[in-house]
Amino acid sequence: MTATTFTLPVGPLHVALEEPMYFDIQVEGETVRSVELAAGHVHRGMEALAMQRNYLQNITLTERVCSLCSNSHPATYSMAVENLSGIRVPERAMYLRVIADEVKRIASHLFNVGIMAHLTGFDSLFMHAMEVREIMQDAKEGVYGNRMNLGQCVIGGCRRDIDEDTAAFLLGQLELLKPQLDELYGVFEHDPLIRLRTRGIGILSCEEAVRHAVVGPVARASGVAYDVRRKAPYAVYPDLDFEVQTDTKGDVHSRALLRLREVVQSVKIVEQCLRQMPGGPICIDSMPMVPPGEAVARSEAPRGEVFYYVRSDGTDMPQRLKWRVPTYMNWEALQVMLANCQVADIALIVNSIDPCISCTER
Amino acid sequence: MNEIAKQSAEKALSLVLGAGALHWTSDVNGNAFGWVKLCDPKSLLAVAPLLAESGARLMTATAYRNDKYARVEGREIAYHFDLDGVALTVTVCLLDTPPRVPSITPWFKNADWNEREFVELYGIVLEGHPNPRRLFLDKSLDAAMLDRLVPLSTMMNGASTSTLWEKVFAGKQLPDWAKGENN
Repeated sequence: MTATTFTLPVGPLHVALEEPMYFDIQVEGETVRSVELAAGHVHRGMEALAMQRNYLQNITLTERVCSLCSNSHPATYSMAVENLSGIRVPERAMYLRVIADEVKRIASHLFNVGIMAHLTGFDSLFMHAMEVREIMQDAKEGVYGNRMNLGQCVIGGCRRDIDEDTAAFLLGQLELLKPQLDELYGVFEHDPLIRLRTRGIGILSCEEAVRHAVVGPVARASGVAYDVRRKAPYAVYPDLDFEVQTDTKGDVHSRALLRLREVVQSVKIVEQCLRQMPGGPICIDSMPMVPPGEAVARSEAPRGEVFYYVRSDGTDMPQRLKWRVPTYMNWEALQVMLANCQVADIALIVNSIDPCISCTER
Repeated sequence: MNEIAKQSAEKALSLVLGAGALHWTSDVNGNAFGWVKLCDPKSLLAVAPLLAESGARLMTATAYRNDKYARVEGREIAYHFDLDGVALTVTVCLLDTPPRVPSITPWFKNADWNEREFVELYGIVLEGHPNPRRLFLDKSLDAAMLDRLVPLSTMMNGASTSTLWEKVFAGKQLPDWAKGENN
């Protein structure tokens, strides 16, 4: 076999994800034999930038690591700084953070399964999933004033409260969403086209998932029942009732269904938060100096564990700020998932890890 | 706090470093964070297999300068592991010039990208890495790289996307590069 690199006509044709990750694919006929990844084409040097900005400015910077998980980054960054500084976040603010995270998870997962439908050629389902997602986009706009970067997190709390009227609006959006989610799940589970194109492809066994240290829905669909919200609980997750979703099939279909089940759990979480949230302040009064030292924090973003490490030399800017996004390890596991697959399935398999180049290329 | 995971971290590290090498902190939710410092990078070769045996997962590795502005030489690498919910940070001091560190990819496959990243960002010499290519590119690399490899956008969307450019250049002459004849 010789290495053959050429432009592959893959899948249904539409501009959907224009992102600069490059692949060196060796194929034999229609079968993929190996895949190498070449990253770095839009590397932004954000970690270097973070060392030249003060702790408050870095909230804005980290919110721009990624669009789909734009709340997870400033929230986890803030948690790391709070751990280092011994800041206790007011309880109401912790509920507000969970609400923001789960709202983002719903929108992110629906986006991913929508794209999957598109890649199978089932464009009416794609449009339907995106329409359902729009309910959550409207909710974001109504609650936070924007549709992507919520601007909700600050160190020591949150920026915006949710009053009674806004809570009623958000609950109303969730009520709109619930029957749609049931219907979507039914279609994704039973539709013959979806099943034919997505079952049994892109398989990642439990052993390989552990070996590649993958996280998030990719790990959970392969039987690795790791969810940071339960394994290393933060905010008010210990007080919330939800089930960590797992599967053992580890294929493209099971990852999509798992994400849809997680959306249902997220709806349940947001409802509980709105019901249980106590009154009180939503932020600390003033930001203390960050002492010299180091701290870590992590959270469960839509794509899996987000990890932050902050190191302080006692000034108002971090000595080092490092973060690791869930997609980082999931890329490499593609080498297993794509091995011996058909060229026509490449797009579906790549999409099933919900790849984020923006995250990878900080 | 996961006591079993804490104990297995203690046990693994005490075999190499003796008892009490680890110190622990916790957050408001009672999550445990273990911290340990290795003064000799070679100790990593003893610690890594023991951690792998206890089921640790490498979360990431952070390289940094001891002095951010490089007024004083010296770099360290903090390896962040997870043991079933417990976060363990093993910091290695790099005393050599140039700084050198052994690869832990034999025990943690996903160290591959993390190590290659700190090699190019912090000029650290990596020993025993199976695939020591650059991870993030710079201009010294082959300019033909982008032509030779297949972009994700092409992989995900197929080869007939001149439609987009036809819309962008609606009513104007479509540039040759946008016609997609080579796709």
